[in-house]
Amino acid sequence: MSEEPLLRVDGLEQRFDASGSLFDRLRFENGRISAPRRIVHAVNGVSLTIARGEVLGLVGESGCGKSSLAKTIIKLHEPTAGRIMLEGEDITGYGFQRMQPVRRKMQMIFQDPYASLNPRQQVSDIVVEPWREVAGGTSGDAHERAMQLLAKVGLGAEHAARYPHQFSGGQRQRIGIARALSVNPDLIIADEPVSALDVSIQAQILNLMLDLKDDFGFSYLFITHDLSVVRFISDRIGVMYLGFMVETGPRDAIFDNPRHPYTQALLKAAPRIGQPLPPAAEQLTGEVPSAFVLPQGCAFRTRCPLAHARCATERPALKHIGAGQSVACHLHEADETPLPAAALSAAA
Amino acid sequence: MTAQTDAPLLRVCGLKTWFHTFGGVVKAVDGVSFDLSPGEILGIVGESGGGKSMVGFSIMGLIDKPGRIEAGEIIFDGRNLVSLDDNAMQAVRGRQIAMIFQDPMTALNPLYTIGNQLEEMLTLHTDLGPQARRERCIEMLAEVGIPQPEARLGAYPHQFSGGMRQRVVIAIAMIAGPRLLIADEPTTALDVTIQAQLLRLMKAQVEQRRTALIMITHDLAAVSQMADRIVVLYCGRVVEIGASAALIAGPRHPYTRGLLDSIPANHQGRSRLPQIPGTVPDIRKLPPGCSFAPRCPRAAERCRSEIPELTAAPAGGAFACHFPLEAAP
Repeated sequence: MSEEPLLRVDGLEQRFDASGSLFDRLRFENGRISAPRRIVHAVNGVSLTIARGEVLGLVGESGCGKSSLAKTIIKLHEPTAGRIMLEGEDITGYGFQRMQPVRRKMQMIFQDPYASLNPRQQVSDIVVEPWREVAGGTSGDAHERAMQLLAKVGLGAEHAARYPHQFSGGQRQRIGIARALSVNPDLIIADEPVSALDVSIQAQILNLMLDLKDDFGFSYLFITHDLSVVRFISDRIGVMYLGFMVETGPRDAIFDNPRHPYTQALLKAAPRIGQPLPPAAEQLTGEVPSAFVLPQGCAFRTRCPLAHARCATERPALKHIGAGQSVACHLHEADETPLPAAALSAAA
Repeated sequence: MTAQTDAPLLRVCGLKTWFHTFGGVVKAVDGVSFDLSPGEILGIVGESGGGKSMVGFSIMGLIDKPGRIEAGEIIFDGRNLVSLDDNAMQAVRGRQIAMIFQDPMTALNPLYTIGNQLEEMLTLHTDLGPQARRERCIEMLAEVGIPQPEARLGAYPHQFSGGMRQRVVIAIAMIAGPRLLIADEPTTALDVTIQAQLLRLMKAQVEQRRTALIMITHDLAAVSQMADRIVVLYCGRVVEIGASAALIAGPRHPYTRGLLDSIPANHQGRSRLPQIPGTVPDIRKLPPGCSFAPRCPRAAERCRSEIPELTAAPAGGAFACHFPLEAAP
């Protein structure tokens, strides 16, 4: 890990303006007219690295900013602040033109295999489109390339001339994977690639994705809400909550020894086969706060069973706690004064 | 499992729900049988296209053209629901049997307050006066964990989050005191921490009232936490049925085994997942023998010609397979 990581993201922020038009914004209060903006704080200062050949799994519940983070890294959204370095090259400020060669190194697989393929394109054209854009090969080459790619993902030559509607969900996801592979990328960002699939098909696609990684040696940023999937595929895991990275670490450390109260609650809430429902006392209460108005201090404190006074005033930073594991929680800071007795008894 | 000594509340027998389309006859449900006692939780699992939702819709009498119930009986509390006319069925639906749908965003009417929608159930199915109805609505909302229920009666569905809406949907389903609740993928659209809250709520509600529950889902893990017994469907037929713990510990049908193995959490280390090859066949062109034969590692000549009957296992439960897996020791 001493060499430069493939991808390094520092303090990335993504805010979306959801105010709408001036007319939507106009307010009349206390005799004054104002037009306040409504800002979604989707990603709040996230830092991460991905090494070559590594799978970083990103988990969190809906609205935690994991998809926004992915789309910002691949520059489908312009970041509000922070830095994105790919192979040591700072791509944060790159415009559309300068991103073109970078996209050869970074490709994306989308969640919905029905919406992410052009219904009017033949499969052989779909899978080579990124390659055509960056390499500009001839049509003869393109056909040959398409055949190779389809074979890699377990589809046959007979599928090449068909259209997306003639395929099942699992096969469509294979087409999406072939398209991402077409430019031999170094990093594939996969946003919930198996969430829309049945469990037997999901296993096929996960196996395929791991086989291809071993063949080609690229890295994955793998986004999912499914804890069993993330455990299967990841080398390291990042847990997000309300746009913050609350914990990162090696897969086994996260699952065997989660340190952040949110990670602990998430793991307990996940249904496990053949196990009884977890006791109510171990369940999180309440729901995720709105990303329009972030809580003061720690984002998780409104649901945290261990929250104490400091959590309401000071936002915890992600700090390394040893063995590659980092956590953003006041409970795990070395210089932290012992936990107030009241907080501990409330948790018990 | 004490519930099973009672007379069954519901007995579904040889149910066939077919859809007559231009592309051929879709046998969405093709000879499904099971029974259910008061207070029992039955899980129906399977992949998309397995026919599990259609079993729920058939019981509720919600099958529309071109679909119809071709054969079979649905005996609920001594009456065959298949032979009831629309008016008689209307009296059963909502009052005796209620349903919770997958998508809490579309299950509620956006133009009415949730107070209206709750109260409608009481107006239709009880003799309570306006004041009593209002009180019962407030009580019910509090029971499903909606904070400030009195104030929330006047709120519209869009003012609630997904988890809160599903709580409202559960309140509407339970308020008339049904004896059978059918929940079709009740937590699939929700986050995992909210899912855990709602599964617990549903379980508490049905236990408290001895309501029978049919939970239809693709999520074997969630159903194993809830159900007393599990029915596994494949291409409209029951491939295995059994007590939850036994079925998960020692499945007899290769499809059940495959489903369990496909769950990444059941898999140690990061070698390849055991996978079921191929995909679910087109239900209009099912193979002549066992529908699972083309994907089955144990399939032999007999499987490709002869449909296996559901046979009872000595240890309880039943499976439809010519070459079943060994029983668990």
